Amino acid sequence: MLARLQNVTKRYRTTEGVRDLSLDFPEGEIVGVLGLNGSGKSTMLKLIAGLLFPTAGTLTVFGGSARGNRSRTVFLGETDTLWPWMTPRDACRLMTGLYPDFEPHRFDELLDVLDVPRRKTKAMSKGERGRLRLAMALARSAKLYLLDEPLAGIDLLSREKILMSLVREWHTDETILLSTHEVAEAEGLFERAIYLRDGRLALDVPAEQLRQQGGSVVQTFKEVLA
Amino acid sequence: MTAETWVLDLNAGPIFEQIGKNVRMQLARGDLVPGGRLPSARDLAATLSVNPNTIVHAYGELEAQGIIEKRRGLGTFVKEDAPVETMRMDMLKEIAETFVNEVRQLGVENAEAMAALKEAWDAG
Amino acid sequence: MKSLRTLLWLEHRRSWVWMASLLGSLAFWAWGIKQVRVMEVGERLGIRAGLLAMAAAVGVFVLCLMIGRIRAETRHGQYQVLLLTPPSGYTHVAARYLYAIGVALVYFITIGFLYWWIMALAGIHLDPTTLIELVLAVPFYAMCITVLPLLAWTLLLMVFISAYRVSGPGWVPGTVMLLGTPFVFRWLGEGIVRVSYSLPGWRLFANAPAALIERFGQPDPEAVLEIDRFLYLGVPLEPLLIMLALAAVMLVIAGRIWQEVEA
Repeated sequence: MLARLQNVTKRYRTTEGVRDLSLDFPEGEIVGVLGLNGSGKSTMLKLIAGLLFPTAGTLTVFGGSARGNRSRTVFLGETDTLWPWMTPRDACRLMTGLYPDFEPHRFDELLDVLDVPRRKTKAMSKGERGRLRLAMALARSAKLYLLDEPLAGIDLLSREKILMSLVREWHTDETILLSTHEVAEAEGLFERAIYLRDGRLALDVPAEQLRQQGGSVVQTFKEVLA
Repeated sequence: MTAETWVLDLNAGPIFEQIGKNVRMQLARGDLVPGGRLPSARDLAATLSVNPNTIVHAYGELEAQGIIEKRRGLGTFVKEDAPVETMRMDMLKEIAETFVNEVRQLGVENAEAMAALKEAWDAG
Repeated sequence: MKSLRTLLWLEHRRSWVWMASLLGSLAFWAWGIKQVRVMEVGERLGIRAGLLAMAAAVGVFVLCLMIGRIRAETRHGQYQVLLLTPPSGYTHVAARYLYAIGVALVYFITIGFLYWWIMALAGIHLDPTTLIELVLAVPFYAMCITVLPLLAWTLLLMVFISAYRVSGPGWVPGTVMLLGTPFVFRWLGEGIVRVSYSLPGWRLFANAPAALIERFGQPDPEAVLEIDRFLYLGVPLEPLLIMLALAAVMLVIAGRIWQEVEA
């Protein structure tokens, strides 16, 4: 079990929070984390990443604390998090120096695949910055990937490139948790779909099962969360 | 192989079934031939933006049905003795049944249906 | 340590404009010193020494600003990135602090050299020992009792404010710390004065009076007594040790907060 939440609650003064959430994340899954704004998607991912601490309940990541195991987890947050003067080469320098599992060759390949320009981030578009940050994330060889809205505000072509790279880079013993609003585009990737509503788990179901029943991940989204 | 030769509708039932259907369709049409090579599960998954496990599942089913086989180190291939004719006939049967069902819902009689078919065939 | 080196590199890339401006500003101060056109030598020297003291004070202020930029980074999410990196909070704090101290060292040693320069301009010839004391020992002492603890305090303040931004009204304890700073310093200062000279002092500038007398002639008897007293006592070591200890404690606390904080 890579991550386990048992009755986890996170309360704080801003809108998002999670309530009494219990979920298991074994290795080898690509999981869609779906919900409306404020449903707790970001909070859940940040809890597993070790950025936030639960107010109640138990959370174990790799059998221990989330923050303590942060070097085995990749978290890609929503907010634009690079320094404006950084070039991809600077990013490579930073990652190599801080993460033992970062592979510069793979990073260079991903930069090419994702068509990231070799410029300072302040001279990049939002899509290009998103792709750079994804390259930084995927060039690490971790077992658990937490991607919080990696497609948000990014142009169509970049989104396609990102999804394709995710499929290519994923190994069968890794787990990816991906939260997104582009449910229709990304749903093919999900083996499992988790729907959150008001911080609680509304539904946890294999994606193919939804389709077997004549629906889809998107359709269930509308049904469960409307 | 391009994405265009594979038809996927995320609202039309399990993906692994659709992949199976696609392979059969391609064989029936002759786009794919016995002994021909299929894309690797990961390549196909990347092209279609779907989970590789789903493709593996689909390929597994096709293997169980005796249509494809994995050759160690070489890739996934259509079996030489894949029952292409049977698949074509099955597909024809399916299309025919769909036609008949839909046409019956319109309240059309046998003679009318046959005439419409002949007309469409002659025109194309 | 690879991570420490990388973080120092990051600090440098983030802050090199500050560093270059600070060190470059010394050229401006030097120019200002040259512009002083007072006739009387002693007065001129006094004004110039005052300018350098101002340069030192400004330097301390700017260094505090430089090290305290965590707030902006928190807003833009870079703090979040760093928080998730493998190195401990102590390593992150150490990197920021060491870089700032490195810049401070260059700055204040240069000021030491400028003091030598204005003395040379005034015709005072210092022997090598006094020279080294002026350029190295004095900056070291001054830095230990001002810059080192002050930067540690600023860093702690900033980490503290950023830390509790998420889970509560962080500005309350931060404001308390900020407003309390002058009171803490005063209380600290008084305590240090009381405790000073329990240990033997550090005798600096033993040869300086001779050089000054050579240039300006014998001072009056009260001054002679003061000078003799100073030469005998030296500068107190207690402030040095206390401030270094405080700086270390504050850095450890800052590192600890960084480790345990949410983002």
